[in-house]
Amino acid sequence: MVFSSDARWEMVDEITRQTVTYGTYKQTLGAVLGDLTVKPLTGIPVAVAALYAFWSVFTSFAGELVTDGFMVKFFDGLWLPWFQAIWPDPGSWHYFLFIGNPAADTCFEAFGMLTSGLFVSVGVVLPAVFVFYLMMTLLEDSGYLPRLAVLMDTVLHRIGLHGYAIVPIILGLGCNVPAVTATRILETKKQRFIMMTLLAIFIPCGAQLGIMMSIIPDLIGVVILCLIIGFGIFGFVLNKIIPGENPEILVDVPPYNWPVKEYVIKKLWNRTKGFLKEAVPFVLLGILLVNLLYLGGVIQGLANLFEPVFVTWFGVPKETVGPLIAAFLRKDLAIAQLSIIPMTAYQMVASVVLVTIYFPCVATFVVMLREGWKELIAAIAVLFVVVFIYGGLIHAVGILLGVA
Amino acid sequence: MEHVDMKQENDRKITPLGFYFALLGLATLLFGMADILVWAGIRPGIEVGILEIAGDDFFRWAWGGFVMVCAGIFMLAGSARVETLQQSAKVVLGGVLVWVIAGTDIFARLCVAIPAGEASPAFLNSCSGFLTEFAPPYTPAMLLIPFTLGIVYLIRMHANDDS
Repeated sequence: MVFSSDARWEMVDEITRQTVTYGTYKQTLGAVLGDLTVKPLTGIPVAVAALYAFWSVFTSFAGELVTDGFMVKFFDGLWLPWFQAIWPDPGSWHYFLFIGNPAADTCFEAFGMLTSGLFVSVGVVLPAVFVFYLMMTLLEDSGYLPRLAVLMDTVLHRIGLHGYAIVPIILGLGCNVPAVTATRILETKKQRFIMMTLLAIFIPCGAQLGIMMSIIPDLIGVVILCLIIGFGIFGFVLNKIIPGENPEILVDVPPYNWPVKEYVIKKLWNRTKGFLKEAVPFVLLGILLVNLLYLGGVIQGLANLFEPVFVTWFGVPKETVGPLIAAFLRKDLAIAQLSIIPMTAYQMVASVVLVTIYFPCVATFVVMLREGWKELIAAIAVLFVVVFIYGGLIHAVGILLGVA
Repeated sequence: MEHVDMKQENDRKITPLGFYFALLGLATLLFGMADILVWAGIRPGIEVGILEIAGDDFFRWAWGGFVMVCAGIFMLAGSARVETLQQSAKVVLGGVLVWVIAGTDIFARLCVAIPAGEASPAFLNSCSGFLTEFAPPYTPAMLLIPFTLGIVYLIRMHANDDS
C-alpha cells in the first residue's frame, strides 16, 4: 500500500490532533533553579558547594565515624592483639606474611595480610567507597550530574574531553576500575586514551583518599592541589600532541528530582558489591605479594637500584624507595608504609603525590588491558614520562620555595 | 484589580520581604568573609556568645567561607523584586548554599558524637556525651538556619503559583 504525500500529511495531522495538547508554558521555580545551576556565574559556586558537601560528608562519615570511631578501636584494640596472641612462632615466615611485624601496636604498622590487609580493605576503604558511591548516586539521580557535565564542558574541552568526562573522573575518585570502563561514554579513541591515561595517573581512588585522610589529614589539600594542577597541565599537553577528534556533544538535561529510595539502594548495592568482588581480593593478594617480595629481597634489590633516581631527582628520603616500588601492587598500602617513615612535610607531600601518579594498581591495570593492549602500552609510556617530569617539577618548586 | 496590585507590588524594588532577604544576604556575606579572614590569620579565632569561627582548617573555613560569600551575594542579588520567579530563585539558591554548609556542620558533629572516643573502652558514646557534642558554640551557618526558613515561604509561594 502506497501513501501519497498529502495522505501522509493528513495522517500526521490526525495523529497530532489526537495526541498533542496545546497550552501556555509556565516556568516553575525548579526549572529556573535548574537554569541557574547550568549558567557559569551561578553554576560554578553551586558546583563548588556540591563538591564541598561531597567531601565533607565523605570525611565525616568514612573518617570520623566509621574508621576513627569504630574500626581503629576494633582492629588495634581487639583484632591485632588477638592474632598476635594466638598465631604461633612470631619469628617465622608465615607470621611475617599473615600477621606481619610482631612488635606492631597498630594495624597500620603490622603489614600482615590478615591484619593490615583486612584493616585497609574493610576498616578504611569499604566505608570510604560506600559513602562515595552513595553521594555519587544521589547526585546522579537528583539530576545534578548532567548539569555538572554541561558546566564542565568548556573546561574539559581544553584538555580534549567533553562534559560527560566528569562521570569517569568522579567514579575514579571511588575506584579506578569502573572509571576505566566508564571511559566508553566518550566518543573518540583520542578522548578515551586521554581520559584513561589521566585516570591512571592523576585521580586517586577511594582507597588512597581514605588512607591519606587517616595519616596525612593536614597535607591532603596540598596533595590534591598538586594532582589537579598536573591533571590540567598534562591533559592540555596530551590534547595537543595526540591526533584525533574532539567532537561536541548534545546533552539531555533532565529536571531535578528527589532520588527514589529503591533505585538508590539498588545502585549502591551493585556498585559496592562490584568493589568488594573486584578490588578487595587485590588488596589482600597485593599485601601477600608485597610481603613475599620483601621476604625474597626483591624490593630491597630494586630499592638499591633506583635509590639515586628517587633521592636525587625526586628529593625523597631513601627509606621511601621500598614503599614506592611496592606501590605498583597496592598504592594505599604504600601510603600507609610511608606514614611511619620520618619525613618533612615537603617529602611527605612529594612521596604521596609520587605514589598516586605512579603505576595504576593491578586491578586497574587488568581493566585497562581489557580495553586494548596498545592503549595500555601507550598509557604506560606516557606515565613514565609524566612521573619523571612532574616528580622533578615538584622537587624544583620545593627547592625554589626553600622547603625541599 | 488584584492583579494590578500585585504588579505594582512587583514593580516596587524593595518590599519588606526583599528587605528581610537583603539583610539575611548581608549577614551571610559578612559571616563568609569573616570565615575566610580568620582562616587567613587576620585574627586567631572569633568566639562571641554562642558563635564561633575557629578558622583552623582550610577546607571548612576558606572553602566553606567562599560558599557562604556566594550564598550572601545570591541573596542580595535576588532581594530586589523578590516576588518575581527569577529573583526568588536566586534567593532560594543562596539559602540552599547556607543549608549545605550548615547541614555538613551538623552531620560532622553527629559523626563525632556517636563513637565514644579514643580514651574510652566503650564503642558507643553515652547519652550525655552524645548531647554534649551539640552544645554551643555553633558555626555562623548553623546560627543562620532559623533565619533562612523564610526561604520556605518563597518556595511555597511559587509552588502555589505552579499548581
